[in-house]
Amino acid sequence: MRALTFNTIDDTVLDTLRPPGWRYWLLIAALFGGVMLGAGCWLYQILVGVGVAGMNNPVHWGTYLINFVFWVGIAHSGTLISAILHLFRAGWRNPIARAAETMTVFAVCIAGLFPFIHLGRVWMVYYMLPLPNQRTLWPNFQSPLMFDVVAISTYLTVSSLFWYTGMLPDLAIIRDRAEGARKKIFTVLSLGWTGRHEQWRHYSRGYLFFAALATPLVISVHSVVSWDFALGVVPGWHTTIFAPYFVAGAIHSGLAMVLTLIIPLRRIFRYERIITVHVLESVAKTIIFTGLIVGFAYGTEFFIAWYSHNPVEMAIFQYRPTGDYAVGFWIMVVCNTLVPLLFFFKAIRTRIGWLFGISILVNIGMWYERFVIIVTSVAHDFLPYAWGLYHPSAIEFGIMIGSFSLFFFLFFLFVKHMPSVSMTEMKEIVHQGADHGA
Amino acid sequence: MAPEAHVMGLFADETAAAGAVEGIKGSRWRLLRTHSPIPSRRLAEAVGVKKSPVGWFTLAGGIIGFFTGFLLAAFTAARWGLIVSGKPVVALVPFFIVGFEFTILFAVFGNVVGLILQTGLPRYRDLETYDPRLSGDQYGVVAACDAAERPALEAFFTGQGATALRAFAGEDEAGRKAHGLSHA
Repeated sequence: MRALTFNTIDDTVLDTLRPPGWRYWLLIAALFGGVMLGAGCWLYQILVGVGVAGMNNPVHWGTYLINFVFWVGIAHSGTLISAILHLFRAGWRNPIARAAETMTVFAVCIAGLFPFIHLGRVWMVYYMLPLPNQRTLWPNFQSPLMFDVVAISTYLTVSSLFWYTGMLPDLAIIRDRAEGARKKIFTVLSLGWTGRHEQWRHYSRGYLFFAALATPLVISVHSVVSWDFALGVVPGWHTTIFAPYFVAGAIHSGLAMVLTLIIPLRRIFRYERIITVHVLESVAKTIIFTGLIVGFAYGTEFFIAWYSHNPVEMAIFQYRPTGDYAVGFWIMVVCNTLVPLLFFFKAIRTRIGWLFGISILVNIGMWYERFVIIVTSVAHDFLPYAWGLYHPSAIEFGIMIGSFSLFFFLFFLFVKHMPSVSMTEMKEIVHQGADHGA
Repeated sequence: MAPEAHVMGLFADETAAAGAVEGIKGSRWRLLRTHSPIPSRRLAEAVGVKKSPVGWFTLAGGIIGFFTGFLLAAFTAARWGLIVSGKPVVALVPFFIVGFEFTILFAVFGNVVGLILQTGLPRYRDLETYDPRLSGDQYGVVAACDAAERPALEAFFTGQGATALRAFAGEDEAGRKAHGLSHA
């Protein structure tokens, strides 16, 4: 196989931006249909009331918040890959950093929609903003829900700025090879970037600070999300391990989603020389690590429940594996902790089909993890007479389908119109002769 | 003042470009700028760039952010000063979390402001004296000389291994200042 050069990298990535065929537009149309389905369901809920969702006593937090936590989690590995691994100078992150950052930005946008959907009366959202008003009523910043508003808004802003800043040199590459209206658009988007040493001097420094700031942010954001639960005195929620447990789970699910996205991308865009098997293998190895942390956290929860001798806590942890939602619990355990162990075998973690299949299973498992955490605890808390079950309604399923459709709709639009691999960072790898398996 | 010419040498190799920079620094010509498709440590060392001050903007943003976040939370709590569950109205631990998030947010804003101010972006005028190959695989060195010395400067670049040359009309002193051009 020929060695990668600066030109082959540019050519490979720029080839992906050629006008797409009918299959692409058909896919986009189908996804748009899914988005419209979700939007229609949300509109119906706004017109009729939040009662159209399956949430009722005692389970008031259902799929909307399950999906909120799920999408925030998905967003996390983008920052892990683009920021944390950048600080560690892990060469294998460069080919997939752009796709992961893009995934982060869109996933946070979608996560941010769910609290609005969950509110029911979405027009009352301004109550969460510190706006001066005649009754001197302000948001309660002692509430973890307000931490969440601040953290998620910060995360969306920071990850979007990080993403755009990282794209600047690549936008200039496209500008320099485009013609007509496209050239004008990319000229504006690239802000007149010319790669002068002065620009690189400030850019490299600024990018490093972006990474250094995004690293504690990503840890804080999912810690804050975990405190939405952990600061409530609900059995199964009120535990100090939630913050690291949620952060590890978030990265676990995010890495799986990275594999789910980049494996088809690699094949369709013929990125085999850029996103090598070594890169995919490195993601798989990281999934083993995060899977073990998540498995350890599952075990610790049970241990603490047993060791505490708290009957309510013990009851909820008996209920999870044996009660009404036992199927969800076992899907969670198998998909998140046992299935990723298959990656210990090199033969499995270097086969594309296995990688893709396992990544899908981990995605499913991580969705169920959020279901198990959120629903089982409130369905089965202190008072047996208040126990109850929850089933998502068709409207909730419609909105969930809409959210997944919106994510893939935005992602597929992006990869065909913007560089889905960072050409500049790939060139840096080639220049340094660093190993990414090419 | 004699008319001035600006000549750009394009190099396929970073080391050759750095060599050209070193050569110009010790000559009667004036180094204007270099371009590279990736951040180049070798070129930066040859040009002798200093550490970027962007971090100071980031730091300032972070400090402003922490106090903004903490004081916003404290101010809003103080406006409705009911003691709930015996907890202080201005609670340090939860408000520190708000302060932390604002620290990151404003530090990033400071970082972006620093980048914009220091790089001067957006700056579309530079594209008039730019070559599209510089974002591909070429390194560019641009130097100024008297118009009469242009052939000598071009010969120098060729001797250093330049794969292509480009010449641009020189600018007056005001234009150079507007571009922040360095003097050798």
